[in-house]
Amino acid sequence: MNVKTINNSSQALGYLTKWRYASSLISIVFMLLSLTVIGVKGFNWGLDFTGGVVTEIQIDKRITASEIQPLINAAYQQEVSVISASEPGRWVLRYANIPDEAQRPQLHTVLAPLNSDISVLNSSIVGPQVGQELVEQGGLALLVAMLCIMGYLSFRFEWRLASGALFALVHDVVFVLAFFSLSQMEFNLTVLAAILAILGYSLNDSIIIADRVREQLVAKPQWNTTDINNLAVKSTFSRTMVTSGTTLLTVVALWVMGGAPLEGFSIAMFIGILTGTWSSISVGATLPEFLGLKAEHYLVVPLTDTP
Amino acid sequence: MTLLSNNKPLNKQLNKYAQWKYWVLVVTLIILFLSALPSWYGEDAALQLSSKKPTSLSSEQVYQLLNQAGIHTKRIDQQRQNTLVVLQQADQQTLAKNVLSQAFAEDVQVTLVLAPAAPNWLLNMGFAPIKLGLDLRGGVQFLLDVDLDLVFTNQALMVSDSVKQFVRQEHISAVMVRQGDGAEVNIEAAQPEARGKIRQFITQQYPLWQVVGRQDTLIVSLSESEQVKLTNLTVQQNLQIMRSRIEELGITEALVQRQGENRIRIELPGVQDPASAKNVIGATASLAFYPVLETGSVNAMVLKDEQGQPVYVARKPVLGGDHIVDARAAIGDFGMSKVNISLDTGGGKLMSDFSRDNIGKPMATAFSEYSRNEKGQAQQSTKIISVATIQSQLGSKFEITGAGTHQEAQQLALLLRAGSMTAPVTIVEERTIGPSLGAENIVNGFAALALGMAVTLLFMACWYRRLGWVANVALIANMVMLFGLLALIPGAVLTLPGIAGLVLTVGMAVDTNVLIFERIKDKLAEGRSFASAIDVGFDSAFSTIIDANFTTMITAVVLFSIGNGPIQGFALTLGLGLLTSMFTGIFASRAIINLVYGRETRRAIKV
Repeated sequence: MNVKTINNSSQALGYLTKWRYASSLISIVFMLLSLTVIGVKGFNWGLDFTGGVVTEIQIDKRITASEIQPLINAAYQQEVSVISASEPGRWVLRYANIPDEAQRPQLHTVLAPLNSDISVLNSSIVGPQVGQELVEQGGLALLVAMLCIMGYLSFRFEWRLASGALFALVHDVVFVLAFFSLSQMEFNLTVLAAILAILGYSLNDSIIIADRVREQLVAKPQWNTTDINNLAVKSTFSRTMVTSGTTLLTVVALWVMGGAPLEGFSIAMFIGILTGTWSSISVGATLPEFLGLKAEHYLVVPLTDTP
Repeated sequence: MTLLSNNKPLNKQLNKYAQWKYWVLVVTLIILFLSALPSWYGEDAALQLSSKKPTSLSSEQVYQLLNQAGIHTKRIDQQRQNTLVVLQQADQQTLAKNVLSQAFAEDVQVTLVLAPAAPNWLLNMGFAPIKLGLDLRGGVQFLLDVDLDLVFTNQALMVSDSVKQFVRQEHISAVMVRQGDGAEVNIEAAQPEARGKIRQFITQQYPLWQVVGRQDTLIVSLSESEQVKLTNLTVQQNLQIMRSRIEELGITEALVQRQGENRIRIELPGVQDPASAKNVIGATASLAFYPVLETGSVNAMVLKDEQGQPVYVARKPVLGGDHIVDARAAIGDFGMSKVNISLDTGGGKLMSDFSRDNIGKPMATAFSEYSRNEKGQAQQSTKIISVATIQSQLGSKFEITGAGTHQEAQQLALLLRAGSMTAPVTIVEERTIGPSLGAENIVNGFAALALGMAVTLLFMACWYRRLGWVANVALIANMVMLFGLLALIPGAVLTLPGIAGLVLTVGMAVDTNVLIFERIKDKLAEGRSFASAIDVGFDSAFSTIIDANFTTMITAVVLFSIGNGPIQGFALTLGLGLLTSMFTGIFASRAIINLVYGRETRRAIKV
């Protein structure tokens, strides 16, 4: 990296203003679209939340879903979903639970006509109340995390700056949720964990920019806020790119190597980090400006203005 | 907020750490490295044999037995009454257990364990491998629901019975006693004096119950705090019961934990067949002894015996199963199976008082089982398993015959011995992870970690050439510390999402260094010397680093406190990773930079 000539005068950064405004507009449009998608399509809730049975089996590779399906449907008297898992010969079966143990058909007997060795790799049975509780718990976790973060932000930053970071955060979460709604990928507990992790990471970028804005507002009180924002975005840009880059690389490693159980998690993280980076330099940095952030908010009583 | 000033005291040397800081750094790293080391060696499947007598269990004998069954052993350690058999193949563990428990039958208790494969000197220092979660080890997990409604209903029954008795004794007329929902009894009495008397009786006899008057009705209910207490006691008791039952199954590393208000989570690592575990955990049986009344008695409870014949018994049992201390199956006269029962002192007294007055009268043993119907409600089915005539005054030790075959008697004895349920428990969640899938998850997880690590190291080395290697050393130190801490912290468990957390930590940990390096670049651009840029760069990045990490820490803490098993594993590695990355990113990398570049006064330097 060269450090020869960096022209950080307010004029030279003027081009960033337009860019920030345009990208903020895009963000807001996409966010509205995302909310619509979530509202219309809903989620494909995983077993953790709905309750039921999921069993992963390994059988002869030559057997197809159309051979398995009718046998299982008949035995369990319902439409069983048979999905091919990561490898040939592996199938994930999902169906509603039959509470009475005695009447529950044994998979080995049900699939006996296929003449294949059947090994059950894993199986989960979740009762309906447990799922309901997890939905409540997950929602609670999301809410508590948001509230704690809001508390910390408003303690640490002036409310206008904090609201920018918070809006960026909501933006990212909504976007990831919309992806899961649109693709109808299974929304399970690990995806929820990823979303909570995104809460933390998305904030990282916004906070680092906000930190810089605060610092520059104090250092250059004669500049106007738009220029300060441009400067902050510009001067943290290389850090933003490097950190998002390394995190994205590791998430891709997780996606590629982690196998099926971590797929949803990695995809959620991947999208979250992308939008997190985007939102921190677009809406996150621009909203405080519209809310009227000025140097005096930090200058008047710099040490006591944190409520 | 810090306003940076450059007029530091002149006598303070720039970029110099005191010697003790290096000591702290090096000692911390060495300890955590040693702590992380056993995990590298992993664990072997093993069997723990504990002889009940001080005998004669020779290791040659064990070796021979296993060899004949085609099971290969790695080593057999013997220490007084305990023998540890370490196996070569993990999938032979269950087979080996069956072989050995058959061979030594009564004398030896065989339990499945895992033995660390690390060299002894390491283990002797007190270091152990990281505990792996069920998703990485394979095993069975159950979530049990303790139904408290029945406990409350039983409490209310007790109160309403005694009020009825009181009313009869005092000849109070026009009183209706009805049971409400849960721990509530409604008493309807037209006369105010009657209500007064009853109210007085309840406050005297049952001080924990609250009486509220509403027109003609007295509503008697258990106080809020008492309900919480009762809930806690019941769940505690069930936890204890589950623990001892699982001990009977021979799994030492099982986890039995309360989850939420009335749930119990059980993790049985290494168990491959959930059915046998479920038979013991899921069957919630309780035993109670009832006086048998004459057929057709009005105030009786009618229970069916095994032939379906009605037996009239009193509503209140003589004593419940919670007084049972020990129960053993044995072969009695004429080859009939029987169960010998020992009671605690309180139970012994009750039984002795009752039997003294009732010699020659029959007493019924009722066996209750709890299950859940289609609507998910707990159902109690009670049947009389024996009606025996009381031959003599019974003490705290007596026997029941007629519990079926010897095997059934053994099963009953096991359940009774493990204690007795006072609240029905049902399995609401069950997860089985095959051992091969667990192993696959470990391989995948660590492959992702290795790839993520390699890519990050390479990127940092290329991007920040001169300082990149410092960040890379810090990152490696970070991973060592993280593994060391995971092994060291009691109760820390590594799960698959936990590995995902490790991988994310790799990507995010360099952020600390990136923030610092970018600041150093800025300061160099302002025309400072390298040494001074380092000093100011570290200082000015510090508050930003804290701010940025703090919010992620918040989500990690929330996830840990609200999440369950695997998710907690994620929260743990995420949170610990933040702490170690700050330690290595700020402290360790500064220490290295100070040593290497601390005196560098050139200005036009490329980073």
